[in-house]
Amino acid sequence: MSNDSKIKTKTPGYSEFKPRLLKYLKFIAIGIAVFIAFFPFLWLLLTAFKSMGDIQSLPPKIIFFPTLDNFRVIMDANFFRYLQNSLILTFSAVSLSMILGVPAAFAISRLKIPFSDGILFFILALRFVPYIVFALPLFLLFVERGWVGTRYGVVMSYILINLPLIIWLMKGFFDEIPKEIDEAAEVDGASRFQIFSRVVIPCAKPGIACVLILAFIFTWNEYLFALILAGRHAQPLTVGLTQFLGGIEYGVRWGALSAWSFSLVFPVVTLSLFVNKYLRRGFTGGGYNK
Amino acid sequence: MIDKLKDNISKFSFLTPSLVALGLVAVFPVIYAVRSSFYSWNLHRPAAREFVGFSNFVKLVTDYTYVNSAGITLLYTAITVGSTMILGFLLALLLREPFKGRNIVRALLTVPMIMTQVVIGLNWRVFMWEPDYGLINWVLRLVGIRGPAWVSSVPYAFIAAAITNIWFMTPLVMIIMDASLASFPQPIEDAAKIDGASYWQRIIYVIIPVLKRTFAFTLLLRITIDFRMFDIVHVLTGGGPARTTQLLSIWVYNQALRVSDMGYSNAGAILMMIIISIICSIIAYFGLIRGGERA
Repeated sequence: MSNDSKIKTKTPGYSEFKPRLLKYLKFIAIGIAVFIAFFPFLWLLLTAFKSMGDIQSLPPKIIFFPTLDNFRVIMDANFFRYLQNSLILTFSAVSLSMILGVPAAFAISRLKIPFSDGILFFILALRFVPYIVFALPLFLLFVERGWVGTRYGVVMSYILINLPLIIWLMKGFFDEIPKEIDEAAEVDGASRFQIFSRVVIPCAKPGIACVLILAFIFTWNEYLFALILAGRHAQPLTVGLTQFLGGIEYGVRWGALSAWSFSLVFPVVTLSLFVNKYLRRGFTGGGYNK
Repeated sequence: MIDKLKDNISKFSFLTPSLVALGLVAVFPVIYAVRSSFYSWNLHRPAAREFVGFSNFVKLVTDYTYVNSAGITLLYTAITVGSTMILGFLLALLLREPFKGRNIVRALLTVPMIMTQVVIGLNWRVFMWEPDYGLINWVLRLVGIRGPAWVSSVPYAFIAAAITNIWFMTPLVMIIMDASLASFPQPIEDAAKIDGASYWQRIIYVIIPVLKRTFAFTLLLRITIDFRMFDIVHVLTGGGPARTTQLLSIWVYNQALRVSDMGYSNAGAILMMIIISIICSIIAYFGLIRGGERA
């Protein structure tokens, strides 16, 4: 923003100096942005391995003697039970949603379905409804059927989050594959299902990877539905994390909180860094760019 | 005729499972919610459930706590969406020209958005906003300012909740803008350059108008995300102090699980959905439908 004034004031002699200065300013700005964006994760990484005394020392200690104490505390707090829930919920919800969503996206993109615009609008509209609008009636319905506190209930709510996203994005990716390919396959006598499974799916592999990654991240991070529907026994890591905030007896358990948080975000952050290109395509695909 | 029918069955066999699933887990609950919003229904006294017509909605618009939550949600959304749109777009502009390590920078900049919201809320609360040991007040002390008790005082809790969200969501705008800038037709910009338009003139008068649809889409996406915000604020402030951060989602949650008034809380959720639909329709109309020919 400060560049603005510098472009307009054209002082002689300054003009050769200007581009270089701007370049430095630009890199400083980028550096600050990267620091702000990445710092909390870095902080979590450090804090998770700090002893209680080191955690609360100010100025913050960058160099300290690492300890696994915090991780021992979270093991005692049933970390693995929550992890198991998180893994089961995420894996089942994502795979079910993919199995349901990818063919549906294919149908909307490729087969001339009546009312396909309406269906697409309905799916898009679902993504804009506040989650609490679904969560409350789902809770009431599950109470009637005794599904609160079961993984089935939570998985169902996760399908509700994932399915519209998957259909919407996959439709975009399928649209990018030239239609001539299926026509050629059709001429060769391929059935509709063969076109889908042998022709279009292989072409859409990058898109599928991208959607899988996004669905995994969103499901892994989900909190609201799990908070309301998971009862005591199906709680994933996100809900389990809040136990460290407190109560009057303990106060905030800083070390355990950061160890648990670190274990929770480490998989998704690492994944996102390694497959960042796919990830970004997921966020920009599906029509934002058109 | 029979062939056509067979053809349609085969087409719909791809689509129907999804539609059935969405009908069961999405449409049915919403209908259920709409229906129960016309009832007076307390979970503790399920037998006393009775039809009350629109009286839950009448009660809502005269309920100070609900109107307050609606106002706070709109203010919160306006501030966070506005800031993230500007910051995200500026960041995307910074990344526009290729430089060494640009992809690493992009990857690192997306980290906030990927982090679990509960983790963000709790850790910002404990490590950043904490009044005595928190990093933000420590930095403020270094420059000689005595920082407030952020998450437990008015109006700082609201500011803290907004800043945390801006940190969380700026990357989303950046990613979308970054991608649309990358596919921006270069000749258009070159033409403006030859005509003598300065950098900022090109951005304001050429790039932004051409990307109008992208902006409208991003705006829609951002507004819906912040309007329904629950996770971060729920663990950061819990809606307090004095309801100053009680966003609508949190209002509904509290109403349902603390007060157990199901008819009333469902009505609150439905009204929330109506508000966001109106906002979205207005943006979609002006940004996408009327301004659509541009793309």
